[in-house]
Amino acid sequence: MSVLVEPVIQTVKLSKVYRSGFRMKRVRALVDLDLEIEKGETFGFLGPNGAGKTTLIKILMGLASPSSGQARIFGRPPRDARVKSRIGFLPESPYFYEYLTAMEFLRLSAQLSGVPGQEAEARVRRLLKLVRMEDAANVQMRGFSRGMLQRIGVAQALVNDPELVILDEPMGGLDPIGRKEFRDIIAKLRKQGKTVFFSTHILSDVEMICDRVGIVIAGRLVNTGRLTEILTEKAESIEVTVTGVTGKFRKVLERVAQQSIRSGDSLLLTVRGDDEVERVMAIVREAKAKVSAIVPRRKTLEDYFMARVREAGRN
Amino acid sequence: MGSRIRGIALNTFREAIRDKVLLTLLVFAILVMGSAKVIQPLALGEESKVIKDLGLASITLFCVLIAVLVGGRLVYKEVEKRTIYIMLSKPVRRWEFILGKYFGLMAVLLVSMLIMTGGFYITLFLTGIPASAYLLWSLLMTLFELAILTAVAILFSSFVTPITSAVFTFAVYFVGHLTRDLRLLAAMSPSPVVKAVSQFLYYVLPNLSNFNIRGEVVHNVLLHPQALALSALYAVVYTATLLLVSVAIFSRKDF
Repeated sequence: MSVLVEPVIQTVKLSKVYRSGFRMKRVRALVDLDLEIEKGETFGFLGPNGAGKTTLIKILMGLASPSSGQARIFGRPPRDARVKSRIGFLPESPYFYEYLTAMEFLRLSAQLSGVPGQEAEARVRRLLKLVRMEDAANVQMRGFSRGMLQRIGVAQALVNDPELVILDEPMGGLDPIGRKEFRDIIAKLRKQGKTVFFSTHILSDVEMICDRVGIVIAGRLVNTGRLTEILTEKAESIEVTVTGVTGKFRKVLERVAQQSIRSGDSLLLTVRGDDEVERVMAIVREAKAKVSAIVPRRKTLEDYFMARVREAGRN
Repeated sequence: MGSRIRGIALNTFREAIRDKVLLTLLVFAILVMGSAKVIQPLALGEESKVIKDLGLASITLFCVLIAVLVGGRLVYKEVEKRTIYIMLSKPVRRWEFILGKYFGLMAVLLVSMLIMTGGFYITLFLTGIPASAYLLWSLLMTLFELAILTAVAILFSSFVTPITSAVFTFAVYFVGHLTRDLRLLAAMSPSPVVKAVSQFLYYVLPNLSNFNIRGEVVHNVLLHPQALALSALYAVVYTATLLLVSVAIFSRKDF
């Protein structure tokens, strides 16, 4: 056995070109993508719609083949059946056999994953409980809501007790409660030491649960890193809300601040540092007005993301 | 391997029997056979033969309809509804998927045929026509014909829409019953193009008229076991070839 720990997912110069439309225009869905995901990581794959997230996932699942470069999972090509038995997969807005009941579908999933008969039965019941679908176990899936399908989707992805779980937009179309439950499930998987790879464009979810993120824009991986590295802890700017300033005092305040927004008799000022906060306070005292809030603003993933998208747009 | 193919086959079977198309076709088939009672006076003393022939022909026709209509949607629907993502994300090889689908539909056809055959023998009993097991030889040969036709449907289903697939499969069915005429056309046509095309079709399309022994069984003509065995072997080889081609196409596909 090799002493070196092999990455769970590895892509080297992975590219995918589609031909689409009547004129067979070339669309570059992925461009020279290099990525490594280690065992036990929870990795968020971020990008706007159409950035190539689903394309990468399809290649990782062996549903599509790369135009050039290569992808390896557990050191093997993705289409290897031995690899598949160690992965759980939830596609984007999953749709299942509507004529099957939830139970029948999970049994089928277990059978196809090679889970032995008696074990499968126990596991299916445990998973139905995990995703809180016990009551609908014997109902045909044709009437299931989006959230219910998503839950069954998670259950089928976990039926083989996978080491790696790949989820494509798992929170898409879920209500806040559904998203919270989903985050809990991912947190649980992480605690069990499983590697989780998921794509999303909902940033708040990523911030809460990921060890590391990768940002993909127009098929290129523009950054990967620990969230704490990407987002500095230091406050980027401070927002000061002032009420009751008028006339020349307001003009002075607007000059001090980098940015100001007026709303009725209150003023929202964005300033850079503590010194400027002091200056604002002094002016406010002189004007006999009031400071109603001082809020330090950290750089959020959203800010980072927007800046990157803008940058990519400029290039 | 076996368990996965069985799983997919069972799922295909479940889908078909919970689908209204199959039920409608079966009810209709039983009605057609039941109508034998109505046409009895028209048969002018030949009723036994007419009713037997009609019964066997209806069973064949409805089975062909099921193979074409259900088979044409088989793979396409999984791709369209993206259930294929789930299937292929399991340790299922693509050839196992195609074989599972194939055997699932064959199981549907077998069960449908058994039900219709039951209806047929009941009709014979009700009309007072002596029912003989000899008729079953014809249905056995139909089953081999359906084996080929289902493989044709699956082949088309893996790359064209259900309607196109149904049209193509029907075309193969009809022309497949006329392949002898194709050879004749090739021999007699003065145009080299017509000659080449009809010769090509003759060699590529399945010769399905070999599987039609309705006339023989209805008229109690002695069957030649060797000829039947040869037809069966032909069906197996032809089907296997078509499935190989389907797997080859399906394996290269991006979803």
